[in-house]
Amino acid sequence: MPIQYYIALAVILFSIGVVGVLTRRNAIIIFMCIELMLNATNLLLVAFSKMHHGAALAADAATKVGVEGQLFVFFVMVVAAAEVSVGLAIIVMMYRNVHSVDINFLNRLKN
Amino acid sequence: MPIHSLLDATVVNTANNYFPIGVQLLFAAGFVATMLIMSALLGPKRKTSDKLANFESGIEITGNARQPMAIKYFLVAILFVLFDVEVIFFYPYAVNFRELGWAGFGAVAMFVGFFIVGFTYIIKKGALIWED
Amino acid sequence: MNAIILSAIFGVVLMMASAFVSNRSLYKTIALACLVLLVGANIAETLGYSFFTIDTHNMLAFNKMGLFFNTICFTATLLYVFISSSEIERVDNYTAEYFALIFFSLCGIAILTSFNNLLMMFLGIEIMSIPLYILTGSDKRNLKSNEAALKYFLMGSFSTGILLLGIAFIYGATGSFGLESIKVGTLQMQLSILEVTGCILLLIAFAFKVSAAPFHFWTPDVYDGAPSVFTSFMASIIKVAGFYAFVKLFESRIETTSFATNPAVGVNWHLLFAILIIATLFVGNITAVFQQSVKRMLAYSSIAQAGFMLFALFSVNAFSKEGLYLYAAGYCLATIGIFAVLVRMKDYTFEGFNGLAKHEPTLAFATTVCLLSLAGIPLTVGFFAKYFMLAAVVKQGYAWLAIVGVLFAGVSIYYYFRVIAAMYFKSADENPAAVATSSTVKIGLAVVVAGIIILGVWPHALLNFLYF
Repeated sequence: MPIQYYIALAVILFSIGVVGVLTRRNAIIIFMCIELMLNATNLLLVAFSKMHHGAALAADAATKVGVEGQLFVFFVMVVAAAEVSVGLAIIVMMYRNVHSVDINFLNRLKN
Repeated sequence: MPIHSLLDATVVNTANNYFPIGVQLLFAAGFVATMLIMSALLGPKRKTSDKLANFESGIEITGNARQPMAIKYFLVAILFVLFDVEVIFFYPYAVNFRELGWAGFGAVAMFVGFFIVGFTYIIKKGALIWED
Repeated sequence: MNAIILSAIFGVVLMMASAFVSNRSLYKTIALACLVLLVGANIAETLGYSFFTIDTHNMLAFNKMGLFFNTICFTATLLYVFISSSEIERVDNYTAEYFALIFFSLCGIAILTSFNNLLMMFLGIEIMSIPLYILTGSDKRNLKSNEAALKYFLMGSFSTGILLLGIAFIYGATGSFGLESIKVGTLQMQLSILEVTGCILLLIAFAFKVSAAPFHFWTPDVYDGAPSVFTSFMASIIKVAGFYAFVKLFESRIETTSFATNPAVGVNWHLLFAILIIATLFVGNITAVFQQSVKRMLAYSSIAQAGFMLFALFSVNAFSKEGLYLYAAGYCLATIGIFAVLVRMKDYTFEGFNGLAKHEPTLAFATTVCLLSLAGIPLTVGFFAKYFMLAAVVKQGYAWLAIVGVLFAGVSIYYYFRVIAAMYFKSADENPAAVATSSTVKIGLAVVVAGIIILGVWPHALLNFLYF
């Protein structure tokens, strides 16, 4: 499949995530949308990695080109996990105080 | 095993190669649909109030599931997410285990060491104490 | 390498201290000792004594400039912990954890000053920011703190998503994450629209991180809601580290992706940066004028100062580089000093500062010096920092932009002097400071004031270190 398809799919997924972040009011769903954005880029990274590998394969059968893209994905996933744990902790903390995860409650700082 | 083994998937992108998958999908969908229709048509129908109740592994129902949960469940869940995902780094190491040799082993041991430190901290802080 | 490894280890040491040492007053001593060791180890590496020899496969590149920036950040942190450790102890019961998180943040900074690869840049930004989300929400029962933490977290991860998409696009276009090979790659190959898009996404993500307008909207809320001690850390050290990474990343890209080199798909970076700078200066300065709370005013003023630091991005030359170091040092000193006074006040409004000069003359004097430095009055380091930034722009031939900068610096004098006027020319019956000033704080503030004035008279005391 041409790389354009992957780019299009990843950008569409990313945009769904962005729209979700901007329009939804539930903190958990916003959070899920951010995860969707991160995973869209993961998909893109893997696709590009394969593309570069395929291009280098013609010249050298034992090429390692492209492996760093997939390693990047590992790091993104791990960092996302760290963010999830911190983010969930923050949401739980907020839930204990206001008994809601609706971000419309977040207006105390607007004066 | 060489380091690029992450990339060693054979290139399959012609429409022909997807044919068996398509057939399987059709079969799966057809099977499910047939079974559902057959059992709805042929099965006996008895309506009792017990059937509408929640099934909780055969024991007595203890109440609504949508109650506030104790905070320790969240804590364990959060810790699980952290420790679970870090396993991801073992996959590339496992694939290149021989090639990386002792240096790689040292790096992974250090990685695990950091984890044990974190785990000690969790235990020491009492985050995993289940009974109050 | 010393800084990266030792800061991570010291963070773990502090974490373990909280688990095994029950004497709570010991934590700040441990933290201070670790910070002194960290500064020492970093200076040792600057002089050529690296304790660790690790092959980073060219993912990290250590040079004098980056290590010197580390030294500035770590010394500022040392000063910050020295002045405000008693306030950190007062936030909640987890003193050692706060210090540990500060150390982890410093580890991120050390990575950000030495990255040579987009992967390391991404990790550095995340390691720097994730502890801050926790520190922002550390006042657990305060709803404002909760709200600030959630907002900061959501905005931070949102910008991370944008950053990652940018990195993925650049990877797709050039086939590498390395800063060096990107340079080579783009010179050899045709610049593609994919790479340009990636660069612009990176610009947006960094603008989020350093709170440049129009991506600044989270800053006032987060700075206002976070516990004041941690706002001090976020507004000073973290911010300048973000700028260093921003400039470090873009100085290798501007040339190859610019409109002048590649008329077909290149970007007019100067126009883009000029819009960013003017918007940031405008929003920061004009909104700061209308604030009632000093803390919120400082949040907007930090946006305004970000506008000035963006000048370093506009004109990447030796002059602006020196300016960035001077700005980092001066801005850290002034911000740490003024927040050290602010956390002592009963009331964070302008009226809350009434009569401070009569009741606490030392605090009032230190605040005055810090505010003068932020406003850029001569004989303070703030003046030379702004001067270097503007001179670099003039050197590039954009005098009109420098004039805009001077005009907005003039506006900033108004709101900084409101605080000074409240302290000296208005009276209050009772002491506006809530807690008595300890001698530690007085020593710390004396160091801040001395630093501001010495660097203000003789900026080369700092800049000479860049070239020795």
